[in-house]
Amino acid sequence: MDKDGASLLPRRTTRSLASASNSVPDRKVNSLGPLTIDDLLVGGDSISLDDLISSFPGRSSQILQISHLLGPLNSPILPLFVYGGSSTGKTSIILQLFRHLNRPLVYSSCRTCYNQRILFESILNQLLLHRKNACNGYSNAKRCERPSDFVNCLREALTNVINNLKEKSETQRGIGNMIYLVFDNFQLVREWDKSSTILPLLFNLYDLLKMPEVGLIFISSTSPDTFYSNMGYVEPIPVHFPDYTDGDIRQILLRNQPNQNLYSSFLKVALSHFCRMTRQVDELSTALKPLYEKYCEPLNNKEVIPTGDMKRKLFTLLVETREETKQKGNHNNLKHFEEIGELDFHMSTSAKYLLISAFLASRNPATLDASLFDAKGGSDNRKRKRKASEKVLEKKETLEEELLMKGPGSFPLERLLAIFQCLVSVAEEPYDEEEQKSDGLGVQGGNGGLMNNVLLQLSSLCNANFIYKGRSCPIEGAMRYRSTISEDLALKVTSRLT
Amino acid sequence: MAPSSPSVADTPSQSSTPLTSDNDLQPFFVLHKASSQRKDKASTRQGKVRKRNELSLSSPQSTKKLEGSMIEECDHLLFQQLKIEAFGNVWTKIESTIKEVLRDLNASVFNDIQQWVLECFNATASIGELGVAEATRSFPALNNTNLGKLFTALVITRNIEFVDDILTFEELGHFLKSQGCHVAVLSSIEFSVKNGIAGCLKALLREFIAGAIDVGTSELVYYKINFIYFCCLLYFFPFLNAVINQSADISILASWYREQDHYNKPLVLIINDLERCCGSVLTDFILMLSEWVVKVPIMLIIGVTTTVDNTRNILPSQTLECLCLSKFLLGTPAEKMDAIVEAVLVKQCTTFNIGHKVALFLRNYFINQDGTLTSFIRALKVACLLHFSVEPLSVIHGRLAEDQKEKSALSPETMLKYMDELPTDGRNQMVDQTGKSMAQSLSELLTVRKLWSTAVLCLHEAAKYSRVRLLDLFCEVLNPDLYLSRDSDCRVGNEKESGLSSTGDPCQQYSVMQSSTFICQIVRKVRDLPSGRLHQLIKTWEKLTADVSEIHEKLKMFQSSVRCEDEKSSRKSSKDIPKRNASRVSPYADKDSIMLTSQAVSFIDLLVRNYTRPIECMPFHEIFCFKDVEKLQSVLIGDPRSRIQVDLLESYKILRCSCCNKSGNAILPSKHDSSIMYSLAQEHGDLINLHDWFQSFRTIVLQPTTKRKQKTKQSSHGFGDQNEASIQAVTELQITGLVRMPSKRRPDFVQRIAFGL
Repeated sequence: MDKDGASLLPRRTTRSLASASNSVPDRKVNSLGPLTIDDLLVGGDSISLDDLISSFPGRSSQILQISHLLGPLNSPILPLFVYGGSSTGKTSIILQLFRHLNRPLVYSSCRTCYNQRILFESILNQLLLHRKNACNGYSNAKRCERPSDFVNCLREALTNVINNLKEKSETQRGIGNMIYLVFDNFQLVREWDKSSTILPLLFNLYDLLKMPEVGLIFISSTSPDTFYSNMGYVEPIPVHFPDYTDGDIRQILLRNQPNQNLYSSFLKVALSHFCRMTRQVDELSTALKPLYEKYCEPLNNKEVIPTGDMKRKLFTLLVETREETKQKGNHNNLKHFEEIGELDFHMSTSAKYLLISAFLASRNPATLDASLFDAKGGSDNRKRKRKASEKVLEKKETLEEELLMKGPGSFPLERLLAIFQCLVSVAEEPYDEEEQKSDGLGVQGGNGGLMNNVLLQLSSLCNANFIYKGRSCPIEGAMRYRSTISEDLALKVTSRLT
Repeated sequence: MAPSSPSVADTPSQSSTPLTSDNDLQPFFVLHKASSQRKDKASTRQGKVRKRNELSLSSPQSTKKLEGSMIEECDHLLFQQLKIEAFGNVWTKIESTIKEVLRDLNASVFNDIQQWVLECFNATASIGELGVAEATRSFPALNNTNLGKLFTALVITRNIEFVDDILTFEELGHFLKSQGCHVAVLSSIEFSVKNGIAGCLKALLREFIAGAIDVGTSELVYYKINFIYFCCLLYFFPFLNAVINQSADISILASWYREQDHYNKPLVLIINDLERCCGSVLTDFILMLSEWVVKVPIMLIIGVTTTVDNTRNILPSQTLECLCLSKFLLGTPAEKMDAIVEAVLVKQCTTFNIGHKVALFLRNYFINQDGTLTSFIRALKVACLLHFSVEPLSVIHGRLAEDQKEKSALSPETMLKYMDELPTDGRNQMVDQTGKSMAQSLSELLTVRKLWSTAVLCLHEAAKYSRVRLLDLFCEVLNPDLYLSRDSDCRVGNEKESGLSSTGDPCQQYSVMQSSTFICQIVRKVRDLPSGRLHQLIKTWEKLTADVSEIHEKLKMFQSSVRCEDEKSSRKSSKDIPKRNASRVSPYADKDSIMLTSQAVSFIDLLVRNYTRPIECMPFHEIFCFKDVEKLQSVLIGDPRSRIQVDLLESYKILRCSCCNKSGNAILPSKHDSSIMYSLAQEHGDLINLHDWFQSFRTIVLQPTTKRKQKTKQSSHGFGDQNEASIQAVTELQITGLVRMPSKRRPDFVQRIAFGL
């Protein structure tokens, strides 16, 4: 996720932008003029390099490196490959850097452009300064599906734009005549259908176009090694964005906080625990937000500057609440086993039995079925016990361990139905006797008949993701199922049946 | 109306008699005879009646006879029409009632959701709007202060089956649209692996952009400018197709949203059923939306059938982080069911009723098989249709509801004829009486039903405290056996009361015979109620009985007796007010509450004893009440596999051939091959050795019989013939799904799939 980086911007700029948009109360939506080259600029107020560096803590070396690579105005560059984990500020830094440099760029995120055609058309739309609206039926500037078409169109559009830029730079200084193509979320391209052709094409674009005025920037969350890159084209220059250090994270989280002192004292207490789990800023900020609210609860005035004594008190309070919640959780757990809460959604009785049998079939090995459900199972067991040697016992133990490691097992439909019938026949006994009295064979009346429409119930359980359909077993050729419900849910389901 | 009354001529059937005597109507007859199957059934009945009439008629003159039959035929036609009409009337009424009930149930949740939508919209608007140029640009907005969170409402439908809620979400969509939102409703089918992200985007665009165009056209329709409307259609359809046919891209939505006035309204996307969506596609979709959330502030409403935890199974944490979740609960299916039962069957929006067994079957079907309202409503419809097609006098339904006078639109003769067929208890009393008295008794039946429904509603009100479902209560109240036993109990109780003491507790009788019934539960609970709640209960009773003076007076009587007691006690206590104030739990207050409780209990008892007479215990109930549970069962639960098994094992019951009749269950060579094979398969376990099976089949087919003819026939049979026959039989069994073909592991074994019946 790269948007998070945007949140790190100094408030000053956001305010000014907001006021700028507010100053135009009546937006003239319909009277939109044609797009100009200026629309390829990031826009906004210009920002100095120092501001930029200070707004991205821990990223100064990367920013400087990229700006060096981009070079001064009108200097051609080799393709760049910017990579690093998610939420390390790649996209934001690139965009802000272009805002600082005030150079035109064509940005396309490979998440929004989810296949090559849309990627091509989106790039061309921007280059041709095309705007979708009701008049043109929200259509694209050019229809372009094949890579060869794309290269041709792209060259045409680029030469146009560059000529425009050159004309402009003669009269007006600053923009220069370079245009940059930015591909964000580039790692997603690998998953596209025709990734084997599109990847080399995009990497090769620099050689294919042979236009020194075009710069290519790839932004990816995975390293260039994952792209199988040695295919005979110019290797892009890698720029790595490492994960933030603890100090950086603290600094980033401290931005935009109204009470810096209080928050920093809070971070001292809380951050180290969370940093062990994740170093992604967006995850951390969402996780810490409710905790900070809890931390601030005892304070009346949120503007206070915390003293050492107060910090200690707050910390102890926080710890206490944490322990309380823990205890509550334990208490809840205990309560849970005493009186299992009822299901909070409706399920037919037949579906409940089926779910329980699926649960049993998934959790128990098939070898246990006979002893569990067969009336004669007990005697069989005795015979086995006599023979059981230490070796067999050991084997059993390892088997049990294996079962635990494997998680819920899969089972064929027949086994599920057999267990289901065992359960239902016990449950239905009183009814059955009456019915059998009335007529020996004959189709059973559906009075309580839980056996009807079992397959329908199965499909609805599959739809609810309680039972998963696996692939068919290669040896037997039959469909196998797997139930992944928790013991909790299984207990809940049984609670109303008995 | 008496058959001899002068008003006969006014009835439509009589007025059409002169026409029937003409031959012109003949082709009409022929056409109609071929048209419907249901008519045939009725026509046989008609024929029976005719025969009976012919026998009973004293003057068998041929011309008269012909004329009479013509009249009857015409009557019959009219009768058919009336039946269909009556069914239409009754069912449309029931259906509209159900719809209203469901709408009322959902109204509060819908309002909550709308409120939420507005709040979210205001929240996004307050962040600061983007300029058009910014909003339609491809790169993310830079002044983004919130973390790109999508506002998401999880609507928990609380039923694992999803069918009922398709309609709910559709209605929610309409509701939000009427409140001025852009709404798209996507079903889970759109989020399948096959469609991929392109599919769901396409659907999204179609919903939003086509919806906007729809609004335009509907406005035009409103102005009734048909010509322009058609022009618009002609103009928009190719345009729409162009939008949808080109690669679906979310930037289209962004540009559309910023155009004209669209951005003044919130964008709402409803996804029907989270559980059925493909997780990966939905994840991609949500991530894409969250990338655009500042430019296209879309709100998600997602239906969840089971629990909120299920979202965690489907979506990865990275995606869940993008969602700002809030939760809304829809009513449980049991609540909805109770509301429907109350409106349709207890309050009786029509005169159509169901018998105890049918009610029990519907209840069990709902609880055990298929807990959906859809299937319940379907079952009710089937019952209704069956009732109208089978029950000759059901025609009266529609008429009764409209006007009491119109109820004998049929000629009274035919009505009486059909009355002859009524196997009701009251028939004996009615035989010698005229239609007039019948009409009277019918109206009486209706008034009794009105009392009944009020009584059941009062009971339900009391049942709310002991969490007894109306559906269960309804089934119990309809049970004639229980009623009869209660009745006899009562008599015994009354005798005891009169003989022994006057202060016998009326609810003791329940504990003797029916301690496990729901009514008994209710009575027990009412006894334990604190006085405050009891007052509440009595107040609701007053409201319920307000229209029904008979019960209302009884209630008033009880209340007045309580009040008398109150006054007495208050007079007593007025002397020692300070004492009362000092101790809250004064003996008098205690006494009051005891009085109140006993009065409430005796009121319930009165209701149960006097007014909850099941419809099946009343005369003429056949007209209003559908009782044929077997028919309904066979319609609703096909149970094909066990049917096949039974038919295979007991083929002689169907074939009724002479050879099998004598021997019963024994396997004879004259039986059908598949039948023999399947009977033999019963002796095996789940695996059948093909060789053994074939051998036993062969021995049976080659069984030495006494007759020579067969022997010579057998000699002509070769080994190959039996082989062929057995292969054919096994194939048939396989096709019917009773047996599975040999697997690769065990090539000489067949697996049995079906066990038991």
